[in-house]
Amino acid sequence: MDKRMVFVDTSLCTGCKACSVACKAWNDLPAEKTQLITSYQSQGGTTHNTWTYISMHEKYENGKMEWLMFKHQCYHCAEPSCMKSCPVDAYYKTDSGYVLIDQDKCIGCGYCVVNCPWNVPKTNPEIKKTFKCTGCIDRVENGLLPACVATCQPGALHFGEPEEMKQIAQARLAEVKKDNPKAQLYGDKAMGGTTYLYLLLEDPEFYGLPENPTTSASLIAWKDWVQPWGIWLLPIALGASAVSFVSTRVIKNMSKSKGGDIHG
Amino acid sequence: MSPSFGRGAMTNSWQDMMNSECFLIAGSNCAENHPIAMKWVHRAKAKGAKMIVVDPRFTRTAGKADIFAQIRPGTDIAYLGAMINYYIENKLYDEAYVLNFTNALYKINKDFKFDDGIFSGFNPETKKYDYSTWAYQLDADNKPIKADSLDDPDCVLQKLKEHFSRYTFDVAAEITGIPAEKIKLIADTFAAAKPGNIFYALGMTQHTTAVQGIRCYAIIQLLLGNVGKAGGGVQALRGEPNVQGSTDMANLNANLPGYLPYPTNADVTLHDYAIKYGSVQHKPMVALLKAWFGKNATAANDYGYGWLPKNDPTNMPTQTEFFNWMDKGQFKMLFNFGSNSTVSIPDRKMVARGLSKLEMLVVADIFLVETAQFWREPGMDPKSIDTEVIFLPAAFVYEKAGTMTNSSRLVQWKERALHPLNDCWPDLDIVDRIFMKIRDMCADSTDPKDEPILKANWDYDDGHGEASPLKVLQELNGYNDNTGQLTTSLAEYLAAPIGTVSTGCWIYAGVTPPGKNLADRRDNSDPTGLGLNKEYAFAWPGNIRVLYNRASCDMNGQPVDPNRKLVWWDAAAGVWTGHDGPDVVDKTKGPDTPEGKQAFRMNPEGVGRLFTASYTSGVPSSPVPAESIAAIPIRGAGMTVDGPMPEFYEPIESPTTNILHPNVQNNPLAKIVSTEFGDPADYPYVLTTYGVCEHFCAGGITRNIPYLNEIMPHPFAEISKNLAKKLGIKDGDKVEISSIRGKVTVHALVTDRLQTLNINGKETETIGMPWSWGFASLNPGPSTNSVTMAALDPGAGTPEYKCCLVNARRA
Repeated sequence: MDKRMVFVDTSLCTGCKACSVACKAWNDLPAEKTQLITSYQSQGGTTHNTWTYISMHEKYENGKMEWLMFKHQCYHCAEPSCMKSCPVDAYYKTDSGYVLIDQDKCIGCGYCVVNCPWNVPKTNPEIKKTFKCTGCIDRVENGLLPACVATCQPGALHFGEPEEMKQIAQARLAEVKKDNPKAQLYGDKAMGGTTYLYLLLEDPEFYGLPENPTTSASLIAWKDWVQPWGIWLLPIALGASAVSFVSTRVIKNMSKSKGGDIHG
Repeated sequence: MSPSFGRGAMTNSWQDMMNSECFLIAGSNCAENHPIAMKWVHRAKAKGAKMIVVDPRFTRTAGKADIFAQIRPGTDIAYLGAMINYYIENKLYDEAYVLNFTNALYKINKDFKFDDGIFSGFNPETKKYDYSTWAYQLDADNKPIKADSLDDPDCVLQKLKEHFSRYTFDVAAEITGIPAEKIKLIADTFAAAKPGNIFYALGMTQHTTAVQGIRCYAIIQLLLGNVGKAGGGVQALRGEPNVQGSTDMANLNANLPGYLPYPTNADVTLHDYAIKYGSVQHKPMVALLKAWFGKNATAANDYGYGWLPKNDPTNMPTQTEFFNWMDKGQFKMLFNFGSNSTVSIPDRKMVARGLSKLEMLVVADIFLVETAQFWREPGMDPKSIDTEVIFLPAAFVYEKAGTMTNSSRLVQWKERALHPLNDCWPDLDIVDRIFMKIRDMCADSTDPKDEPILKANWDYDDGHGEASPLKVLQELNGYNDNTGQLTTSLAEYLAAPIGTVSTGCWIYAGVTPPGKNLADRRDNSDPTGLGLNKEYAFAWPGNIRVLYNRASCDMNGQPVDPNRKLVWWDAAAGVWTGHDGPDVVDKTKGPDTPEGKQAFRMNPEGVGRLFTASYTSGVPSSPVPAESIAAIPIRGAGMTVDGPMPEFYEPIESPTTNILHPNVQNNPLAKIVSTEFGDPADYPYVLTTYGVCEHFCAGGITRNIPYLNEIMPHPFAEISKNLAKKLGIKDGDKVEISSIRGKVTVHALVTDRLQTLNINGKETETIGMPWSWGFASLNPGPSTNSVTMAALDPGAGTPEYKCCLVNARRA
């Protein structure tokens, strides 16, 4: 299946949280016990049972009130840190751009959890498996909209081919920029480009998001350099010690045959 | 809306919202409570429409607004009056529309007066108005006399002008807390972008001045020429999914199904009824009686009219007042279906007192809601309560077939999606079983009071021992004796001689023609792109989607807006036709005839009523079996009991005095039910109450759904940062909100979305609380209605949930 993209137009999101409920209903995830954290927001982050949620951001400046909403879920990056970090290759990517976890392989080590710039995947400590948004791949590959997109009443979520989504996003950006000078797209450049593309009305910091999400340097070093080449460390070390073993003997034999020892 | 336009329902539709150029959303938080509205509003906004939100708090709807104004709860009439004043003063009204489609030119009785907060005709003892001076000057044919111009001091427009001249932007600012420039901005923006659309919901109706607030909307929309146009009108966003259906079926105590007036004990015979309410009510009343009594309703027995219980006009309590009557021992038994008064009635301790005095309480619901176990509330003493409580487990909405009628009058049939669990029954089956059993028990009775039960036309068996909702719908549609079949259309019903058609609800006539169920249609094609969706379900009346649509045409019967053509006069064919069903008196009567000029045919004048005059059109149109030869009037006007023009009154519990007339602080006709009222010195803050998106009404269903409890786990009190600082409260602290009637302790939500207002020179704080919690369910919480006050709008009976006085302290 060809690449897909979800355009999240936060300017139309009314923060009703139906997407969060639809996701749980479709994926048979249990509800969690919560308290209000801030504003009308009761979910503070993803959990192994909460794969998407809304954060709410209030700002009052110069007599003008802003109440902005942001839908969090896995971004399904083109160059995902999670997949990079997985020591057992439990992560895989579909042609449609979705980043998925093979639960049979997952050992729940949590490496992906600490490496995601948006803190998305979460491990269930009891069964030692890690979970996150699947992009509703099961629905998408059967001609249905992702559960969140299908549910969104105000029309803030769009689903389709990347070119179409980007066009809509650009048009909306031009429209909202008139009254929101800081409006910008988010996700178009990060992590090689993300499946979830956002229209923000303010800077990423306003929403508590990293401005330039990247894979961590140490992960790159470890995975791109140390690990692929590090596999040779043992053979090289063994080889070196074999060479050293042989060469030491040879040099020693050479010195024996040349002269006697000093002591006569 | 009914007294202004002739029908009291959303004038346009949900889909039609995408045709608007401007929205005034005031008294509605549609993004939270009617999320589907945003789908269509956003489509309009994508085309450049502007959105204005006026609300006591910055809500999730306000988050999408172009213009937001924070208003002191209960003061809407002040700024709406200022808008009316501005439009009239500056001639911003649509003059052609106003001349042709409203009563602006009609001359008013010279004895009509308004002085210091009171209209002429007030009886201070009965606290009621005599409407005789709120009348037109009439000619010899009983027709209203029209002035020669809109400058005539006797004409309605000049009466409006004089009345609202006191409502300047500055006065409105003092009262509401909205800066004068902002009110002017709202007025200018709304007038400039046509068609403009107004949404309201309980934010406007839960006041002691509810009806008058809506009347302001009706006046504004008539002045601007927005009624009857695609993208225009006044949209009442109903509070429950099928409450429109409920009110169509007359859950209002002064109505019969189809909004027929309910007879009083003064209307002894059918003839009396016809004389009092007009001959237009005679036919539907006969048709209704035929539906209810079948073959037992004949001309000889007044069609069984005598079997209808009659209202005592001096004593017509509504739901809130019933609990006090129960407390006094007036009622032995209460059937309580899908209602949770223990949580939802204001000043709710009345409910516990009332329920405790009943001999039997029967609750039908899907969960053991608070009302079903009212004696278990902490603080109650079950030993002192003798009420026997029976719980009937009811089927949920997806477990039963039937129709739901939404705000836009759309009657939608649904099949059951799954069978009810265990022994849960649909309400229809419960009521059917109870009635059949009662009838059995009365079978041998000769007592006249049992006659209605024995003579009732009651047969809903579907052939398999269950009650058939389709049979009910067909009864509502009605049968035509002349054809021996289901009536095929509203037109057929209207044309049939009196006594030859039956209908359980005449506005539904045509929904189930023989062999069809139009409410079951799901073709959502929209060839005009205007969202008419004519083949999707059935909109009453007669599948008309935009009411009063004749007003979208000029006096030649041609649409004024080429992009929003709804209906038009086809001179060649000699009929009104169009994309929508023409809302006209007679499709064959063209624009040059008196009938063809009328856009508001449900009003006796045939025009929109800016001034709700007392008037009954006089020429009898159908003969009625008569004991006397007195002419029977055709149609009476819907009246607004507290004034023919809106007037601002303070809410019953108010932090300030009424600066328009301090001697008349409140609506003189407001029905006061609570007995304790707080003084602003002790209770300085204004509490407003509302729903949140995540929970529904009293929470009887939603607080038993874990997903919903997750996204909205507990109630809260929204407090301005200013007030929080004064009280030493941080976000997340516990706060006690108290009124003279009760108190609750909840989570404090400190926010900028509430700002301190300046009211009549004084800093005034608003506190907001959702009301969806009670002591039962998976998610129990304190009930906000322990704090609220019960005073009712005199016309609609809606309680003033939206304003009362409270105090707050860190708990």
